[in-house]
Amino acid sequence: MSGLLVRVAATADRAAFADLYDYFAPRVKGYLMRAGAPADLADDLAQETMLKVWRKAQLFDPQKAGASTWIFTIARNLRIDAARRAAKPTLDPDDPSLMPEAEPQADLTIERADRDKRIKEAFDTLPQAQHEVVKLHFIEDAPHSEIAERLGLPLGTVKSRLRLAFTKIRKELGDLDA
Amino acid sequence: MRNISHHPKTETLAEYAAGRVDEARSVVVSTHLALCAECRLAVADFEALGGACLEEVEPVSMKEGAMASFWERAGEQDVFAREQATAPIAANDFDFAAAQPLQAYLSSPIDQIKWRPVAPGVSQHVLNAEGYRQGVLRLLKIAPGTQLPKHTHKADELTLILRGAYRDEIGEFRPGDLADLDDEAEHTPTAFGDEDCICLIATSAPLVFKDLMGRIVQPFVGL
Repeated sequence: MSGLLVRVAATADRAAFADLYDYFAPRVKGYLMRAGAPADLADDLAQETMLKVWRKAQLFDPQKAGASTWIFTIARNLRIDAARRAAKPTLDPDDPSLMPEAEPQADLTIERADRDKRIKEAFDTLPQAQHEVVKLHFIEDAPHSEIAERLGLPLGTVKSRLRLAFTKIRKELGDLDA
Repeated sequence: MRNISHHPKTETLAEYAAGRVDEARSVVVSTHLALCAECRLAVADFEALGGACLEEVEPVSMKEGAMASFWERAGEQDVFAREQATAPIAANDFDFAAAQPLQAYLSSPIDQIKWRPVAPGVSQHVLNAEGYRQGVLRLLKIAPGTQLPKHTHKADELTLILRGAYRDEIGEFRPGDLADLDDEAEHTPTAFGDEDCICLIATSAPLVFKDLMGRIVQPFVGL
């Protein structure tokens, strides 16, 4: 997928972008719906996400991040902005959400691609029970208490599974002491 | 920048990366991130985890003709060209448009803020960050030597020290340090040093203060 994005960036390759769109747009839409957006809004926001991907593709550096990570952050930010717009119908020109986007911190992007790959591998090898709650944590907007109820688990169990999973994944990257 | 010794909990950073925190907490966390490379790395890791989760989402078909209407919105080649021409130096999109750090929320420089006294030696300034979920964001200024009444929280509280210092049962907090307290934590911060201690605080519920007799008092009514 990152390779497609590189082709889009290099030559505005529409065929490559169409492949990227076919893969990601329905997943972004699915994510937004799981996060509570009605289907129409999710469709709009998925379009907007892909529009950002198209327009900013030349800023994407496959050395620095995986395509899915980048697209996740774009969709997440659009989701939060939409929720805030809904809460503040009158837009204030000084609204912080209308401020120009900050440049990323240089140190953030060092060797990201490799880290992203290792994080995905660590995620894939989590025990099923932890894998499940991590996915619900990132994809849904429901409070952890609601997720616990749905899974028929005590809230403490959901929280400790998340904590275990997060710690394990970061430990595998060598950031935390064993 | 001095070394930061108190950081948000891992879970808090993971909630931030997932877009789960309210606006007030988001401002506090992102302001800490601006100061803390270690936590920025953790958030980037959790965003990568979010990306891995995105790939596993059950796809939902886009509306019919979505691709065609996409190209219509994208316009012809010139949109792409224009964006390229004005593109910022940014190398990626790891920004937090929804969570700009503190500066964006201050209507005046921090030295010209209008403070409202709330207790001897303590004053506050409430910031407007209630646009997204329930959260209260405010600045608290504590004169050196002043001890806040012991208090607990009905919900989590994030406190980022901007200036000065305080100490409590957990330790000493200085600029850049973040106290990430859950709903059961009780603490009695005392400001120390030569200057006022200014903190940026996000709460999802009003603070509950206990007086010396252990009775519940609420001196900060009208937060």
